[in-house]
Parts: sequence; structure tokens; C-alpha cells
Amino acid sequence: MESLSNTTQEKKSLFQWIRKYNKQFIGFITTILALLFISPYIYIIFTSIKPSSEAISNSPTFFPREFSIENYVSMFDQMPILSYFFNSFITAFISTVLSVFLGALAAYGLARFSSKLGNVFLLITLCIRMIPMISIAIPMYIIINSMGLIDTHAALIITYTSINVPFAIWLMMGFFNNIPKEFDEAARIDGCNIFTSFLKVILPVSLPGLATTSIFCFMLAWNDFLFALLLTSTNAKTATVGISEFLTAYNLDLGPMTAAAVSFSLPVMIFSILVQRYIVSGMTLGSVKG
Amino acid sequence: MTKESKISFLFFAPAGIFMLIFLFFPVMLLIKDSFFQVDMISQDSGTFVGMSNYIESIKSDRFLGATTNTLIYVVVAVSVELLLGLFFAMLLNTGFKGHGFVRTILLSPLMIAPLVSGLIWKFMLNSQFGIVNQLLYDFNITSSRNAIQWLSDDRTALLSTIIADIWLTTPFMMLVLLAGLQGIPVTLYESAKIDGANKIKTFFYITLPSLLPVMVVAILIRTVDAARTFDIVWVLTQGGPANSSEVLSTYMYKTLTRYGEVGESSAMAVLFIILLLLLSSYFLVSMFKANKK
Repeated sequence: MESLSNTTQEKKSLFQWIRKYNKQFIGFITTILALLFISPYIYIIFTSIKPSSEAISNSPTFFPREFSIENYVSMFDQMPILSYFFNSFITAFISTVLSVFLGALAAYGLARFSSKLGNVFLLITLCIRMIPMISIAIPMYIIINSMGLIDTHAALIITYTSINVPFAIWLMMGFFNNIPKEFDEAARIDGCNIFTSFLKVILPVSLPGLATTSIFCFMLAWNDFLFALLLTSTNAKTATVGISEFLTAYNLDLGPMTAAAVSFSLPVMIFSILVQRYIVSGMTLGSVKG
Repeated sequence: MTKESKISFLFFAPAGIFMLIFLFFPVMLLIKDSFFQVDMISQDSGTFVGMSNYIESIKSDRFLGATTNTLIYVVVAVSVELLLGLFFAMLLNTGFKGHGFVRTILLSPLMIAPLVSGLIWKFMLNSQFGIVNQLLYDFNITSSRNAIQWLSDDRTALLSTIIADIWLTTPFMMLVLLAGLQGIPVTLYESAKIDGANKIKTFFYITLPSLLPVMVVAILIRTVDAARTFDIVWVLTQGGPANSSEVLSTYMYKTLTRYGEVGESSAMAVLFIILLLLLSSYFLVSMFKANKK
């Protein structure tokens, strides 16, 4: 009896050892694959800190041989990049505030009170998400043009808000549905009306949802290229359009371009890693369940 | 109107009015413009031309070429993203030590702008200074440092744009599939083990069928997004050389801005919307059927 249980135990521990080793092996391989996968981005960061002669070299290397901030300095000389960044930020910020406000308000009304008109509205909202932006771009250009708003911040704020509102409604609905109705009822008993119970009770409780929605709305506006290219020329030109202009037929400023691309995306990357939990929950909520 | 629907209306009216003016009206304008010959400069309503914008679009070789390229782009990009995403998701789902860290690494491209992805690949695929050609040369795959003119050769231009798309959005596919994998109940795997199923059988009879609904949604979202891609193609090739990488969105953009053809570009946009709606409803219906089974 004893010897039998011994051998089974040995077998078991050997099996466990293989399994453990196997997992570590998978972990090792996956880590290497993951690093290979994001190496293009790392390469751009490395290139941006190379001296310009090395950044544009006939025999490029992955790692920098020399460190230099030359590309970052000449990035400022080439174009008013700071004002482009400011334009990107201000349009993304204002449109985010507007679309989250309008979206949260609508989502609350639709999540808490049943109405036929509301259901129709929700259906239209979903359909509108399917429409490709390029086709909205054509009439949007005509409308903005006839309003005399071409090349203004308002043009971009209006556009980004209208794209983001349906999205914000759907995302916020998901969060409101998870808040028990008892919260509203308790607030009403304490003397709140519908609007104040929404402002004082529901909104504070759904802060994580508001944060997630804001991040997505902000990212869409911040990363947009098409509408900025179409609707702005000088005064309201955003960073994406500015950066794209490092590459024209006559001008191939690859070094400063990498510096601008890194300055544009690295802060966002770091931020997104810090708040990843929210982003992941929003992504899966918006895509898998929505 | 009941009291409840009145309150509901008060809450969604502001968003509703905004969407009516800046989404619904534009779409109506788009449909209207597709039947007119519109002059961009004088901005009058133009002359009614019936279906001629549509007929002209469908008859033009460039439109057909752009449609074909869009289809190739969507099919190749989405299938590679699906396979790569599933591969990474399954690796991460084994739950090895440090999988959280690796997941963070893999997810980081999610927030990169399509434009930046385009720029990165424009830089890496450059035929003179690009590191891709250098690596191919170093590993003796090609005989010279500028053997492949990735972006200026009409045989590889579309492929280059697809590479940039795959790199940018595989993390999204991976994230959605990982969420799906984690939603499969462990009991299913346990009972399969008891029944003596091996790993391959478990994958085909349990993992894939359970993952199907999530997969369909992910494919749908990615198909719509890939079909309307603009930034990546615009930055990398602007649709060239010789229209070899022209997709519908870049062609529509050019028709509008370079040739000022509001009517024709609107007609193409309407056709594009109809195509996407048909495609997505096909997906949704097939998913509904699969769910019923």
C-alpha cells in the first residue's frame, strides 16, 4: 500500500513540475513576442533621441549609438507645434465635457424612465454608430462651411461632440443600469427632486463610468486626423495635422517627425497604462456587451 | 404622454436636439446631395440629377478599384488580427506568472492614434532609411538594402497599409477575445477532461464555440472600422502609387476636396453606408441564429 501511494505521489509531483515549467516557458515566449510586437513604438522613441544624421541613416540600427535632443529642438523650429498641441487639447477637452454631459443626461433619462420615443431614439443612436465618419465628413464640411466656422475651434468641437454623444449615451447607460434604483428612491425620500437626485446622488456614484467615458471621448478627439484635416487650415490646426506635415513631397523631416510623434503619443500611452483598468472595463463593456 | 415618458424626454432632449442638428441633418443632407449636382463655391442647392451620381460612381473603374482594395484590406487585416489576437489571448489566458505585465505591454498600442501608427510604419518601411529593409538584408532575405520599395511599388503599397492596421488593432482584438475566454465557465473544461478530450478537441469543441458570439461582435466592429480607415492609408500612400492602395475613404476624400464633386462623393458615401449596414446586419443575423442553436 505504502509503495503504491508513494509512486502516485511521485508521478503527481513530476506532473506538477512539468506543468509549472510549461507555464514558465509559455510566459517567457509570450513576453518575448509581446516585446517584439511593440518594438516599432520603441524604435520610434529610440530614433527620436538619435542625432539627426543617425536618425536618417542608410544603415539604421535599432538602438541609438549616441543620445541627442536635436530632433526635439528642430521640431519647434519647423512649425508652431505648441499651438497645434494647444488646439488639439482645447477642442478635445471642451468636446469631451459637452458630450459626457449631454450623454450622461440622456442615458439617465433612458435608463430610468421607460418611453416609446426614448426607445426609438436609442435605436437611431445605435444605427448612427455604424455610419462611417468619412460619409459624415462630407455634409459636415458643407454645414460648417455655411455657418462660417471653417478653421475655428468651434468647428472641431461641434464635430467631435456629435460623434461622441451617441457613444457616451451607450456607455453611460451600461453604468447607470448597474446602479440600483433604490439610490434614486432614497434621494427622493430625502427631499431631492429628479434632477437634484441625478446631480447629487447618481453622478457621484457613477464617477468611474464618467471617467471611462471621458477617456474614450477625449481619445477620439485627440487622435482624430480626418476632420481636423478637412475643417482646419491655420488657426485651429491640430497636432495630428501638424505632425503629418513633416512628410510632404518636398520635405522629409523624418527626425523631427519622430520627435513630434513621440511627444504626441507618449504622454497618452503612459496615462493609459496608469488608468488601464478603466479602459479595459469600458472597452469590453462597449464592445462585448453593447 | 405619460408622466414617466415626459421626464425621460426632458433628460434626453438636449442630446436629442444636438444629434438632430449635427448628425441627423447631415445624414439627410448627404442623401439629398447624392441626387444633386452641387457647386461648392456658390453654395446654392444645385440641380437635381436623379440617379446619375450613383450610376457614374458605379460605372467608374476607380470606384470599383477602391471597393476591391477596401475589401482586400478588410478581409486580410481582420483575419490576421483575429488569428494573432486569438493567439495572444490564449497565451495570456494560461495565466502564467507576470501575465498582467505582459498584457499591459500588449495593450499599450490601443491608445496610439492611427495617424501615428501610419507615421511609424512610413518611417520603418522607407526604402532608403527604413529598418525593415535593413533587417531583411541583414538576415540575407533580400540581396540589397533597398530591394523592396514598400510604399512606392504598386504591388506592396496596399500590403504596407494593412501591416500598419494589423499592428495598431491586434491589441483590441486580443482584449475582446481575452474577455471572452475568461467568460467561458471552467466546468465546461472539467467535464471535457473527464470525457477524455485532448487539447485540440477541447479547443475546437469547447473554446471556439463558446467564443463565437464574442468573436462575431469583435469581427463586426473591426470590419466596420477597417472599412472606413482613412488616416493610415492617407499618411502612408495617399492611395498611390497609381491608385494601387486607394480605398473608399481616401477616394471619397479626394472626390470631395480635390475635384469638388459633392454630389458624386455623397453618392459613394450613401452606397458605402448601405454596404456596411447590409454587412453588419448579416453578421448580427447569423449570430442570432448561432445563439438560438
